[in-house]
Amino acid sequence: MSQEARKRILGRVRDANRDRETVAHPGPLPEAVEPPVPFGKAGRTDSVGAFEDRFRAAGGEVVRLFEEGSAQRWLKEFASEFESVAVCIGVPDDLQPDLPAAPSSDAALGVSVAVGAAAQTGSLLLSSREGHQSQLLPPVHLVWLRVQDVYGTLGDALEGRRENLPATLALHSGPSKSADIGQMIVTGVHGPGRIIAAIVGPDMGTGV
Amino acid sequence: MEIHSRDYRQRARHIIQETPEVREAVTAATQTFDDHRRAAFDDLDRDALRRWAEGVKSHALTHLEEYLQEAEARLLERGAQVHWAETASDVHQVFQHIVAKHGVRRAVKAKSMLSEEIGLNPFLEACGVELFETDLGEYIIQLLGEPPSHIVGPAIHRSLEDVQGLFHDRLGTPFDASPEELAKAARRVLRDAFLTADLGISGGNFLVAETGSIALIENEGNIRMSTSLPRIHVALVGIEKVLPRWADLPTFLQVTSKSATGQPVGTFVSIIQGPGCLVGQEPDGPEEFHVILVDCGRTRLLADPEAWEALRCVRCGACLNVCPVYRQTGGHAYGYVYSGPIGAIIGPGLVGLGETVPLPFASSLCGACEEVCPVRIPIPKLLHVWRQRAVERGLTDGAERSILDLWAAAVTHPRLFGWVEKLMAIIPEWVSRRLPMLRDWNSGRELPVVEGRTFRELWEEGIE
Repeated sequence: MSQEARKRILGRVRDANRDRETVAHPGPLPEAVEPPVPFGKAGRTDSVGAFEDRFRAAGGEVVRLFEEGSAQRWLKEFASEFESVAVCIGVPDDLQPDLPAAPSSDAALGVSVAVGAAAQTGSLLLSSREGHQSQLLPPVHLVWLRVQDVYGTLGDALEGRRENLPATLALHSGPSKSADIGQMIVTGVHGPGRIIAAIVGPDMGTGV
Repeated sequence: MEIHSRDYRQRARHIIQETPEVREAVTAATQTFDDHRRAAFDDLDRDALRRWAEGVKSHALTHLEEYLQEAEARLLERGAQVHWAETASDVHQVFQHIVAKHGVRRAVKAKSMLSEEIGLNPFLEACGVELFETDLGEYIIQLLGEPPSHIVGPAIHRSLEDVQGLFHDRLGTPFDASPEELAKAARRVLRDAFLTADLGISGGNFLVAETGSIALIENEGNIRMSTSLPRIHVALVGIEKVLPRWADLPTFLQVTSKSATGQPVGTFVSIIQGPGCLVGQEPDGPEEFHVILVDCGRTRLLADPEAWEALRCVRCGACLNVCPVYRQTGGHAYGYVYSGPIGAIIGPGLVGLGETVPLPFASSLCGACEEVCPVRIPIPKLLHVWRQRAVERGLTDGAERSILDLWAAAVTHPRLFGWVEKLMAIIPEWVSRRLPMLRDWNSGRELPVVEGRTFRELWEEGIE
C-alpha cells in the first residue's frame, strides 16, 4: 500500500512542478540579518555572557564555576537541598552529587552534561546518548556545561553536530512552561520546573 | 475531521451573540502574542529574514520530489520506518497495523494539526486505544470535547474560570484553584500516562532532507516526553514540511518561534533522527520510530498555479493573531482545523472550495496577515483568487450575485445609474434594512437619514 502511495504522491509532486519555474536556494542567511549582538567564538566571554543573559531571561538559572575544585564545592552545597538523584551516563564521577540514586521518575534531581550551548537563543544542547529520562522526569535538572562548548549562534552550535547526530538532539532553553490556562504562565508543567546551567572552565577572554 | 465551514456565518454570529467572552479572551491572547512577536524582531532586519525564509521554502517546494526522497533515504539509514499516505484512511491503516502488532492500549499525543485534519483521535479511540492529549491546552479541549481554536494556543478561547470549573468536575480540584494548582493536577494525570503509554504520537514542524531529521518546537516538554518515553514513536509529517539543509534549520527554528510567541526559540526543541535503541546503543528512547509522510490534498495544492504558495506556511499562527476578523470569534467559527487567514487559503486548497467557500470571504482584506507572515505568503492576493473562483463556479449566494450584477450594470451605464440613485433616495428604511447584502451590514448600525434628492440633482442645482 505504502509503496504504491509513495509512487503516486511523488508522481503528483513531479507533475505539479513540471512547468513551474524552479527557485534557487538563497544560500546562507546574509550576515547583516543576524542580530547585532557581537557573538564571539565558542567559549569566549562575550558568548558566555550572552548565553547567561538569555538563559536567565527565559527563567533558567546559571552558575559560573571557573575551575573543577569550585564546581565540586558548589555541587556539595547545591545537592544538600535534594534527597535523591538520577544521573545521565555521561556525567563524570567527580561531578555527580553524593545522593542516593533513584529512578528518573522518582528522583528529586536529574543531572546531565550538555554537548553544547547557543548564546543566541540561550539554549543547552542535550544528546539522547546521555539518556532522555534524567533530562526530563525529575522536577529539577542540573546541566553541566564546559565553557568551550558555549557557541555564539545557534547555527554554529548545531553545525558541529551534523556528522555525528544522536537519535535525538534536544535544545532546552529554560524551565517547562505553559500559558494555556487563562494566558497565565506556569512552570514545571511536564518537564523540569527548574533548570540550572553550571558552566565550568576558565575565562577565555573576548572574541574580538 | 468533519468540516462545517459552510455554516461560517451562523457559527460566527452565534459565538459573537451567545458567548461574548470568547471575543474578549481571544483578542487579549492574540494581542499578547503579537506584542511579543513585534518585540522579538526589533533588532533584526525582518524583511531580509522573511525574504530568505520565503526563498528557502519556495526552493524546497519546487524541488520537493528530490528532497522527499533524500529525507526518506536518510531516515531509513537510521532505522526509521517510513510510510506514505495519500489520504486520512491511509494514515489510519498505518496506525491500525501498529496498534494490532504491538497490542497498544494507551497512547500519549503531542499537538499536531495534521492529526486533527485526519481525525486521528476518534479513529484510535474506536480501535480501543486510550488516548491522552498531553499539551496542556489540547488536554483542556480534549476534556471539553472541542477542536482547537488556534494553531499555537488551542484553548485561548477559554478563561481561567472555565478551566477551574472543568478541572473541578473532572479532576476534583477546588473551584478557586490557581493556575499552578490546575497545571499540577493535569501533570499528575499526564505523568502517569507518559510512563505507561505504549505509543507516542507527534507531528513535525520541519523535516530536514539532508539529515532526515524531524524537528519539533514546544514549551512544556510534553513533546520531548511523547517522542522519547513510549516504546513506539509515530511522527505525522505533511510532505510540505521539508527543509533542504541542516544549515537551514537553526534560522527556521528561530523565525517560527519568534513569529508564534516572540521567544528566541521554543523552550524545548526535539531534533529526531531515528529510534533510540538502534543508533549507537543509547540508554533509552523508542524501540521503533515511524514517520508517516502525508499528502491529504497537499499535492493538489502544489499543482495550483497560484495557491501553491500557501504551502510555505510554518504554522506559527502570526496571521491569526493580527486578523481583526479572527479576533471576533476565535477559530471555532471557521468549522475547519485551520482557521483565520491561513485557514481561509489552505482550506479550499486541501479539501476543496465547495466545502469551505465562505472562508475566503471572512476577511476585511486589511493586509495585516501578509505583513507578519514569516515566509511572505501573499494571503490577501490568495483570498482574492479563491473569491474569484467561488464567484466563477457559482458557489456564492445567489441574491448577492444578482445584486452585484445589477450594481455592475448600473455603474457602467450612466442613465441607469441615475435611476438607481433616485430609487435609493426614496426607498423607505424598513425596505433597505431587509435587502440582501445590506441586511447584515445594517444590523447594529443606524442608517443615515435619506435627504430625498440625489447628489446629481443637488450638483445640477449648484452646490456651494
